[in-house]
Amino acid sequence: MSGWSAVYGIVARDLTRSTRQTSRLLGGVARPFMWLLLVGTGFNAITRLESGLPYPAFVFPGIVTMAALFGGALTAISTVYDREFGMLRLMLASPAGIPAVLAGRAIAAALVGMLQGGIVLAFAPLVLDLAPWRWPPAACALAAVTAMSAMLGLLIAARLRSVENFAGIINVVLFPLLFLSGALYPTVGLPPALLVLARANPVTYAVDLLRHALGQPAERAFAVDLAVVIGTTVAAFVVTAVLFDPEQRFIGRGRGDATPAAAPHRGSRP
Amino acid sequence: MSLAIETEGLGRDYGDVRALDALDLEVPRGAVVGLLGPNGAGKTTAMLCLATLLSPTRGGARIFGHDVVRERAAVRRRLGLLFQETSVDGLLTAEENLLFAARLAGLGGRLARAAVSETIERIGLGPRARRPARELSGGWRRLLDIARATLHQPDLLILDEPTVGLDPEHRDTIWTLLDAQRRSHGTTVLFSTHYLTEAEPADRVVLLAQGRVVADDTPSALSAELGDEIAEIEGPGAERLARALRGLGSARAVLRTGRGFRVGITGERQPVVELAGRAPGIDRFALRPTSLEDVYFARTQDAGELAAW
Repeated sequence: MSGWSAVYGIVARDLTRSTRQTSRLLGGVARPFMWLLLVGTGFNAITRLESGLPYPAFVFPGIVTMAALFGGALTAISTVYDREFGMLRLMLASPAGIPAVLAGRAIAAALVGMLQGGIVLAFAPLVLDLAPWRWPPAACALAAVTAMSAMLGLLIAARLRSVENFAGIINVVLFPLLFLSGALYPTVGLPPALLVLARANPVTYAVDLLRHALGQPAERAFAVDLAVVIGTTVAAFVVTAVLFDPEQRFIGRGRGDATPAAAPHRGSRP
Repeated sequence: MSLAIETEGLGRDYGDVRALDALDLEVPRGAVVGLLGPNGAGKTTAMLCLATLLSPTRGGARIFGHDVVRERAAVRRRLGLLFQETSVDGLLTAEENLLFAARLAGLGGRLARAAVSETIERIGLGPRARRPARELSGGWRRLLDIARATLHQPDLLILDEPTVGLDPEHRDTIWTLLDAQRRSHGTTVLFSTHYLTEAEPADRVVLLAQGRVVADDTPSALSAELGDEIAEIEGPGAERLARALRGLGSARAVLRTGRGFRVGITGERQPVVELAGRAPGIDRFALRPTSLEDVYFARTQDAGELAAW
């Protein structure tokens, strides 16, 4: 029971925090809409797709993925803030243990990603012809994508020591994952080296899964996309649990006498 | 004897740096024990090992009979922790912070809410309970932190410098609360502090230096080792007077400080006062009761320097 209470407590805290960081929440929703408006309409004039889809309709699953990826992953990466400012050690010192802490963070991050992705998804009728029965599978696909995004964020946070390189994570990790996913252009036309990277990129399968759910032509089978997204989520959870070092906060960056830099002497005393 | 804390050669290295060498400690249930020592002595490292947040490099520790490495969950259920830096989420209200802590401790639903209400009442947080924690003063944030650590009625409180940076009023409030907690629930308390007067009422004081225990006794017994009183001597003739007091046979211990000397005196004070009155080059001479601060200086001062006396 204590594990469930801890998970619930972590989820409730993270969601409360998210609702009080309105600028961050609004920014997370505004980013995909800006891309949809600026990139979608801009490229529509110069792009002709084999599928015959208008570019805004083609790019829409990718934009939903972007909202889910950034919302879920960035919320999960904020674990680094908790490590830096001491809240993580409170969680780690609880009887629930690391799996409960990771599960709580992942669920909360996924819910934030779901909210941001869901707001974008709600505007689907503006850019594509969506049959009513498509909504439930689309919501399920979004849930799977946000869960994967949250776990990828936690995986990144597992070994990230400081919050200084947050912008770097967005530019060096999240944007390349998105650009190499087929979200903005089909991966079939990519040069061989980039095609290999795109195929190794789990976000590629997330975008494709959403295409299936929204009734668009997809590059891979539905089962493959679903298996990769779920498999990545589970694998990321396991790897994060292994990589997650509860002692990291206390070594090297801490203050007081728990740090090597402040420790008084080297080797054994006589 | 029923022990709350039991350590045997507990040590922790950070790479090739030995932060805690070998801690041997036995703390009975219900005791209040102060862990003192200079910065870098290994106090925080020892506390983090006992709190299961750091794995020992050598030796071992048991909390209420549970091993801190193999039975972490069992140990954590009995613990209330307070870290050096305040662990409060500024975006949440004080009440939400406590609810979060209650859920982390495994309390659910009505039980958690009841514990939070009782704690808000006990700590006197009432009017501030619905305010974001970031709007609270440093003192109230620390009180909120104490509330968090004691909310689930732990059997053992590990407090790392609980009153650091606080004004005397808040420090007094915190010790009053901790004393009440101990009396009502028989909670064992292990705390560290640099305010040595705060350790005077403790049942026992453990003094660490360079990762090792250099003193472990009641505050009064430790103070008595240095003498009945301390003579504080300052001025260019301070060293000569300190040597003269030693020659007189009154001096039990001589400590060098930044401003002069402290000499532990036993026996009659009159010959000491007369000798000091005749000594040249003395800017200040004062006799006062021995304190833990004197013990601290005596036990953490370089052994070679003391031997020269």
